Amino acid sequence: MKVSQAYIADPAIEAEALSRHYKGQPEPAVDRFSLTIAKGEFYGLLGPNGAGKTTIMSMLAGLQPPDSGAVRIHGMRYGRHTRLIQSKIGFVPQELALYQRLTGMENIWYFARLLGLRGKEIKSRIEQSLEFCQLQDRARQPVATYSGGMKRRLNLAIGLLNDPWILFLDEPTVGVDTQSRHLIHQQLRRLQQTGTTILYTTHYLEEAQELCSRVGILDQGRILKEGAPELLLQRSEYQNLEEIFLELTGNALRDH
Amino acid sequence: MRALLTSAHKELRLLARDYAGLLVLFLMPVTLVVVITLVQENILQLSGQRPTEICVQDDDQGPFAHGLTAYLQTGKLEAVPWTGSADELRQAVTAGTCQAALILEQGASARLQQQIDRQLAGDATSKSPSLALDLLFDPATMVGFRAGIFARVQMAAQATELEMKATRLGARLTAQAGAGTPAGNGSGEDLRALFSRSLTTIAEQSGHSSQSSMDEILNPVDRNVPAWALFGMFFTAIPIAGTILTERQSGVALRLTAMPVSPISLLAGKMFAYLGVCVVQFILIALVGIYLFPHLGLQAFSLPINPLSLLLPVCASSLAACGFGVCLGSVCRSYEQASTLGATIVVAAAAMGGIMVPVYAMPPLMQQLSILSPLSWAITCFSDLLIRGNPWESTLPDLGRLVAFSAVMLIISWKRAYR
Repeated sequence: MKVSQAYIADPAIEAEALSRHYKGQPEPAVDRFSLTIAKGEFYGLLGPNGAGKTTIMSMLAGLQPPDSGAVRIHGMRYGRHTRLIQSKIGFVPQELALYQRLTGMENIWYFARLLGLRGKEIKSRIEQSLEFCQLQDRARQPVATYSGGMKRRLNLAIGLLNDPWILFLDEPTVGVDTQSRHLIHQQLRRLQQTGTTILYTTHYLEEAQELCSRVGILDQGRILKEGAPELLLQRSEYQNLEEIFLELTGNALRDH
Repeated sequence: MRALLTSAHKELRLLARDYAGLLVLFLMPVTLVVVITLVQENILQLSGQRPTEICVQDDDQGPFAHGLTAYLQTGKLEAVPWTGSADELRQAVTAGTCQAALILEQGASARLQQQIDRQLAGDATSKSPSLALDLLFDPATMVGFRAGIFARVQMAAQATELEMKATRLGARLTAQAGAGTPAGNGSGEDLRALFSRSLTTIAEQSGHSSQSSMDEILNPVDRNVPAWALFGMFFTAIPIAGTILTERQSGVALRLTAMPVSPISLLAGKMFAYLGVCVVQFILIALVGIYLFPHLGLQAFSLPINPLSLLLPVCASSLAACGFGVCLGSVCRSYEQASTLGATIVVAAAAMGGIMVPVYAMPPLMQQLSILSPLSWAITCFSDLLIRGNPWESTLPDLGRLVAFSAVMLIISWKRAYR
């Protein structure tokens, strides 16, 4: 699904003029940020460190309220419909949000129970999740004994337990080996084919170019350029997204 | 050496930017030292260097009562007049409101004077004690405390009696000299008997009319077992706080925030789990008290007639401890902060609450402050049931305080825990 038009008839996510200013910071982290993502779209949010990617994702996933602006998920606003929205989204944080002393199966069971799954449903969902992250053999071992790639796969599988309408992924392939990354890419493509909307942040631009139907290049809390990766490349003299990215955001280090 | 200095420099820089950590490092030990020092001042009280209060119901209003009160004062016992009835005074002692009380019956002075006169007249039947004073003690008071007060009251009573005897004897001799009559039939033997045989006795009682013998109900183990079990229970606050901090640091808190589940449920779930831990902890300590203590030469921990009555204070205390743990984890930013702050608060609250030293033995300021400590509410519940033998209904106010404390802690944590 390729979407690049400004008007989207059936949006999954709508953000209107979101702003967020953290105490003690001279500049706002996010400044009147607007975005519309269509249902089933795979949207990549790209930007240097401190560009505001995680803050935007947190506001869109309902983890923190914006200072101003509004978010709608499938037409519903947080506040009145928070619980319903939360039951229809999956959130995979950048950190390995797992209990290290529990086994993979116990982790899945715990989060599935919190999502309201019961009985046979929970059993079959555990099996599906273990198959999804290919951890059937290690299901009964503590997560602390897993490799980085195994933990990342489990982290992603738990985000999918409720068959979410929208999946928020914050750098899901950081520190992962090539094999695990390949598996994660495969699974994400399959998810998109089933109609799941995916909002995804990454520093790996070739990964975004390969996976995303649309990307937004972000800096200082504002979108600088947006569109399907191939269209962005067609309209510029650059060979890949990384060159466009550097052109827009500059070469200066951001985390000094 | 360069690496060492560089490392030290880095640590100091980190610390200088951690204001909460600095507070924990410096303010908390100061607070602890102040609290412990104040509490330790009770040693002065127990050793007689500070006045101890004793409630006195003076229905006599005669010379014996006045003399006795004056002597109590010189013996560092502050006589606090009781204005209610004798039954109300007994209830106050039973409830632990008043740790020691003395009842001076109506006509005590007149009876004593009659006895002295009969003794002076050589009446042999007057040699046996005729005035019994009721000295009441809160059953939860320590043996040493009671012995100290008993001795001082006894001394004051004997001094008053001697003074009255000397006055009566002087008056008698003056009257005889004035009349020109020889001294009566009082021999040297009679005079010795007059001054060596006391006419007053002191009966030591608990506040309970049904439990008049203190020896039957006093067992220091009955106080120490719940006291130190409570101390242990409140220390579980630190691991509870640790679980919240681990969740926050690992990103689990973020994931939980994005899920359709209330933080209150998650926190209450933690409290529930640790409540079970605390109950097991108490049972284990109680079992040690019952079965191991006798083998160590100590008295066994004695359960009340209905052991299930202990369940409510155990659960309410555990709930309060777990609530504190959840709040600690929500407020602190790191495990180091939580463990230092948690341990400091628990030790200070235990000291203030009468776990280490009974509240009645503390200075007045600390006695006032002790009512703020959940450990004080908890130990009062256990003392009521185990030592004072009160019915479980008497513990309801303190149980309510413990549950309310837990609820307040949970509400404070609600918005902060997974922030």
